[in-house]
Amino acid sequence: MNKDTMVVVGGGQAGGWVIKTLRSEGFTGPIVLISAETHPPYERPPLSKNLLRNADAISETALLSEADLESAGVEAWLGDEVVEIDRAGRTVRCASGREQEYHRLFLTTGSRPRIPDWMAASRSGRAHVLRTIDDASSLRAGLASTGHLVIVGGGWIGLEVAASVRDMGIAVTVVESASRLCQRSVPEPVSHWLRTLHEGHGVTFLMGRSVEGLVDEADHIGITLDDGSMLVADRMLVSIGAVPDVALAQSAGLEIYNGIVVDETGQTSDPAIFAAGDVTNFPCSFAGCATRRESWANAQNQAIAAGKAALGQAVHYAELPWLWSDQYGHNIQIAGLPEKAGEVLFAPGPEGATGVWLSLDHDRRPCGAIGVGAPRIFRPVMKALKNGGEIDLGGWEAVNNAEVQ
Amino acid sequence: MEWIDVGSAEIVAEEEVTAVQAGGVPIALFRKEGRFFALHDLCTHGQALLSEGFVEDGCIECPLHQGLFDIETGEPRSAPVTVPVRSYPVREVEGRLQVSLETPSA
Repeated sequence: MNKDTMVVVGGGQAGGWVIKTLRSEGFTGPIVLISAETHPPYERPPLSKNLLRNADAISETALLSEADLESAGVEAWLGDEVVEIDRAGRTVRCASGREQEYHRLFLTTGSRPRIPDWMAASRSGRAHVLRTIDDASSLRAGLASTGHLVIVGGGWIGLEVAASVRDMGIAVTVVESASRLCQRSVPEPVSHWLRTLHEGHGVTFLMGRSVEGLVDEADHIGITLDDGSMLVADRMLVSIGAVPDVALAQSAGLEIYNGIVVDETGQTSDPAIFAAGDVTNFPCSFAGCATRRESWANAQNQAIAAGKAALGQAVHYAELPWLWSDQYGHNIQIAGLPEKAGEVLFAPGPEGATGVWLSLDHDRRPCGAIGVGAPRIFRPVMKALKNGGEIDLGGWEAVNNAEVQ
Repeated sequence: MEWIDVGSAEIVAEEEVTAVQAGGVPIALFRKEGRFFALHDLCTHGQALLSEGFVEDGCIECPLHQGLFDIETGEPRSAPVTVPVRSYPVREVEGRLQVSLETPSA
């Protein structure tokens, strides 16, 4: 036992970047990583893409390999779970019975897929979620004998999986309860573009429909919808969002409100405990309010800030919200808060590339943008959003849905 | 050292990046304060061409995930990149640029 120990709970993108940052910023004391997953820290973006097609793509996910952890002098307790934090004694206790004292504790427990009641009752193994490498492996194995996949939820995970499995020749039906795709993160014209893109690749959409039940049959599943109809499928993916994994923090009495509440340094309501990534609700300077974000970039950059802050450095996490998606060879980048649009402008990309949508808020100030295949247009817009710079609106045209192909 | 001609010195401007091939190897060429630099044209994090990225403050920013590499040395300068990208020697001879694929001796 060592009282100087940095303990990191959760081995995803945020946990991995806390460890990398502690070492790159000169911390030479002991670090213990405790993760319920048996894999060393990894990045999740390939899980909905290459890893569904190719088991070897697991190497693309590595953030810190076992060898990296060893050479960085990190003790990794993989496949174990912290079940209790004794804040007074600065000690964590694991499911295995092991205990570890900490000087600073990092909670990077992430989020977990939302699982509806009708799914929890299914025993067929044909209903999947996608969050971990093991989830991806299970889905990939199942896809080998899948002719028709139903995807519940038309957000980024659902659409990325749709694109990946259409490339494998599997029929896909997406059931989305909202009237448009990715409603929480993009304005209407981009939802329309996404739908057109997927329909062009043969995806069927059932919009405004929700699932009410799941029937396990011997060799397929029946999915009942709210209009009384039934979809027959070999397999389904449920991708209807995620909830922050706050159970441990909550039982420790930390302040919780839609995630673990942290300040702009990643510090929780206990000064010895930091948190980063999907699990946190943090003050987002761009949004001007407390926000929880489920993105690779936020997990990375907030973890870097928290690692530095725990070492006593002055940090102020204030990144522009940014995420990307890859579908059918299109790299889709989203910066700022484009869903807050009162008005949407569009600039086509060069040489047939799609282009950039720019969202203006209700005061006609740029609040976010979506770029597809036009980095030379998108990047200056992103910089202006980040720095508060002016964007010349001269070359942009107002769009309605049908114009962008 | 074997030098491979990759084109006129005019093909790369300050603050810009140009993609060329040298002996089948994809190269991203840079010009910084009149000097030329060459990096292997593939990000060490994702599958992205650095030549589709952006030059700023002596670094090339990967177009996919915003990792930064020092254009002189290929050293990583910001997350998510942590592995350097290979740097190749370049020289200008009578207005032509030449790249060597050999590792320079120390």
